[in-house]
Amino acid sequence: MIETSGRHTPAAGGTQPLLELRDLDTDIALRRGTVHALDGVSLQVMPGETLGVVGESGSGKTMTALSIMGLLPPGGRVSGGQILFEGRDLRSLPADEVRRIRGVRMGMVFQDPLTSLNPTMRIGVQVGEPLRVHERVGRAEARERTIEILRRVGMPRPDRIVDNYPHELSGGMRQRVAIAMALVCSPRLLIADEPTTALDVTTQRQILELIDDLREEFGMAVILVTHDLGVIAGRADRVAVMYAGRVVETAATGELFRSPRHRYTQALMEALPESAIRESGEHARLYSIPGLPPDLSRPLTGCRFAPRCRHVTDECRTTDVTLTAGEHQHACLHPVPAEPAAPVGLPTPARVEPAPDPAGAPAGPAEPAAEPVLSVRNLVKNYAAHGRGLLRRTAGQVSAVADVSFDVGPGETFGLVGESGCGKSTVGRLAVGLEQPSAGQIMLDGTDIAGLAGRERRRMHRQVQLMFQDSYAAMNPRMRVDAILAEPLEIQKVGGTAERRARIATLLDQVGLSRRVLERYPHEFSGGQLQRIGLARSLALQPRLIVGDEPVSALDVSIQAQVLNLMRDLQRELGLAYVFISHDLSVVDYMADRIGVMYLGKLVEVGPARDVVRAARHPYTQALIDAVPSVTPNPAAARDGATIRGELPSALNPPAGCRFRTRCPLAQDICATEPPLAGDAHQVACHFPLRPESAAAAAPAGAIA
Amino acid sequence: MVRYLITRLGQALVVVVLVTVIAFLILHLLPGGAARATLGKEATLEQLAAFNHDMGYDRPWIQQYGMYVQRLLRGDLGYSYQLNQSVVEAISQRLPKTMVLSLLSTVLAIVLAIPLGVIQAVRRNRWPDYAITSLSLLAYATPIFFMGLMMIILFSQVWPILPPEAPQGFTVAEVLADPAGLVLPTITLAIVTIAVYSRYVRSAMVDNLNENYVRTARSKGLSERRVVLRHTLRNGLFPVIALLGMYLPALFSGALVVESLFNFPGMGQLFWQAALKRDFPILLGVTVIISIATVVGALVADLLYAAVDPRVRLQRSAS
Repeated sequence: MIETSGRHTPAAGGTQPLLELRDLDTDIALRRGTVHALDGVSLQVMPGETLGVVGESGSGKTMTALSIMGLLPPGGRVSGGQILFEGRDLRSLPADEVRRIRGVRMGMVFQDPLTSLNPTMRIGVQVGEPLRVHERVGRAEARERTIEILRRVGMPRPDRIVDNYPHELSGGMRQRVAIAMALVCSPRLLIADEPTTALDVTTQRQILELIDDLREEFGMAVILVTHDLGVIAGRADRVAVMYAGRVVETAATGELFRSPRHRYTQALMEALPESAIRESGEHARLYSIPGLPPDLSRPLTGCRFAPRCRHVTDECRTTDVTLTAGEHQHACLHPVPAEPAAPVGLPTPARVEPAPDPAGAPAGPAEPAAEPVLSVRNLVKNYAAHGRGLLRRTAGQVSAVADVSFDVGPGETFGLVGESGCGKSTVGRLAVGLEQPSAGQIMLDGTDIAGLAGRERRRMHRQVQLMFQDSYAAMNPRMRVDAILAEPLEIQKVGGTAERRARIATLLDQVGLSRRVLERYPHEFSGGQLQRIGLARSLALQPRLIVGDEPVSALDVSIQAQVLNLMRDLQRELGLAYVFISHDLSVVDYMADRIGVMYLGKLVEVGPARDVVRAARHPYTQALIDAVPSVTPNPAAARDGATIRGELPSALNPPAGCRFRTRCPLAQDICATEPPLAGDAHQVACHFPLRPESAAAAAPAGAIA
Repeated sequence: MVRYLITRLGQALVVVVLVTVIAFLILHLLPGGAARATLGKEATLEQLAAFNHDMGYDRPWIQQYGMYVQRLLRGDLGYSYQLNQSVVEAISQRLPKTMVLSLLSTVLAIVLAIPLGVIQAVRRNRWPDYAITSLSLLAYATPIFFMGLMMIILFSQVWPILPPEAPQGFTVAEVLADPAGLVLPTITLAIVTIAVYSRYVRSAMVDNLNENYVRTARSKGLSERRVVLRHTLRNGLFPVIALLGMYLPALFSGALVVESLFNFPGMGQLFWQAALKRDFPILLGVTVIISIATVVGALVADLLYAAVDPRVRLQRSAS
């Protein structure tokens, strides 16, 4: 294995791989049968290198990590192949020896920091436990070394944190604790399984940088498992792409993103929202991979991607395709032609239909003259805060939404972005009338909904509908799909039985589902199908506005593309307006005509999507943009931008004046007074905007790093 | 913490007051009133009137309730004409003995139920789990009088190693002086409790063993024993703590069936005989005592919870 483009080229030639998987098979026995989660997975990790393992849910990336660690879920077992760690096969070693290796030579960081720590054990005890168990270190020394490792993972006041419990820390801090725990015995290999997926982008960036720094410091190898191509592109030396339990392609990171060979890798990259924007400048239609990944409990022959592949031939379905030899390995019979000297950037998206989107642009903000469908004026929402613990007395107010105003025109998509806790979902819930604002107005078609009651209020609800992130949780599991779709019609007393049935049939056609789904229950559907049903339900009453709260955040990239395309198609056909709420800037950038950026209950910037993303005026917006990992592998740039540090302040008694000033690199004394949202089309609430408004259109050079 | 205690005690007080109101109302809603209930069918109208006047039952209800509460506060729960002793006296004779039996069986139940539940969780869906589950369900489904009878038949008839009757001593010391007599009632009482508690422990442990933090613990290379004992057990015992709080009233009320079966002179038997003889002062006195025990038990459970679960504990001032 000769490394050419990695940042930390391991010594070529004689170096032994630290970890080598040979033809690893993993089965998981479930009640309904055995799932062959991994089938012949072979991988190598060299000392000191970062291997990215990327794939969608069910691809086997996590099962690979768990197989190495010997932490497979109940019913899971490695049924074939070898796991060679430092030259020894873990499968043939005695259990006690493997456990010691797992504790001392390897470390693992899991996805969800909120549930990955023992809630009733002090931080110090948890972090220091491997020392006590494996190195037989005394209590005092373990504590000392624990404080030291907590300091090295960037924990403020580690000597106090050791005595805290996990619930007293934020998500980002808990992930630091988890990393400290994995590193306390100075392992040779760190396996990070979606270490930042549950975190906000600004925190994600801090954690990824921390892992990078520690890798150099400890001289260890890292396996970074993620679904996010952007995370991989910025951090890994080499990448292995997994699909349906197999490695389908592996190459040096730069090489892979420059010139993917496997048709699945290619399709995956084209399905990213940012690829569609970058290529044309316009919002091209996303390439969406049709269908679903195969069921791994059935015997499979041929290329597993064949049923969803654009380049499939009969041969693909019958021949078992193995990885090619060499530096850049792929398992594809009809690979993308290699492009040795292609310019840095995304693969040529030859498949992306450049068809301009007639809905987005013309119906958008270009005609502000049209009366807005939704008009939000000085919206405020406060919640009474209760102290935690036994004492549940009122401890002040949480300012969830503070003086937010914006308009959404007919047929327009208004994107609302921000990190968790910024109030974007609350705005959505207020807009559809699920909650009452503390102050301010919400007007639909010029009518203040606060003044409505009874029948008028019910009629108003027809105009605006909500679409949820987790459609499964938002559906009654005991109702069939026909009842779920009919319910809004019944509540609003629309038509008779026959009319409703016809309406439901139309809805299914619109969202691309067959009539057969009507007799099924929510648990029988995949995530993408559920989002379609959720969309159909919100369309049932022919609303003019749909508020989508993270509607694609739980979906894999290929499925996400299907749903995003569907939402845009329906917008064009039905003239819908969307309020599209998401933490994912690239998705909002793709979907929205205009974007509002929220921070701690405040709208800090509003403007045309292109300007906000490519010429941000608020320092927070810029920091958010910088923190988003891009699939353009450019680690140097990714590390340079002025990042924001620290944590989101509490919305309980937020900072006075500009709420971002406590973390802002540009903050001055004047920031203690509140900046108004100023500007014409591209407004910003900042005393020191990064750019004047006019520069936005003229200088697209200030695009994402 | 003090503030919380005061709040909770205030809530408890409200419940207790409501209980006394209800108890008072029941006493006065009896057909023929307390006089008829106390003096029996043969009493003449004059006797009834005299009784009512003596007891103040001819005064307005509000006044009567005031008197009732006054007596209650003085620790006077009334007088049992059937036993010819005050209710307080009757209870204080039997309560300590009942507590001995209840405590013994509870301790036995906990000591056995926790390991059984843990074993079931660790070996879930394998034969130890199935075996214990089957036995638990059997114990749970068996009527307790049947269980007690089987015990007596087996261990004092077929294989006569233990006496069929509980100790008849008058004081706690006398009861404890006859440990052999306590064995069968204690075990009979414990068996059902073991069945219930081990189910709770099992399900809480199974839930916890599937938690992510357990996977994290395993990733540290800990032995399975350490994972279970150091990481999971504490969290798996929370439901038992809630159950223990609810167990406090049982400690006071005793076990009606078992006490009758083994002829143990405890609270259960007192209550049972009072019910048969329509001895209302006893019934109400016991009810009030048990109600107070229930309220206090809930409070104790909450406090125990706070003691073991840091998430419930009061936030320290610093963070």
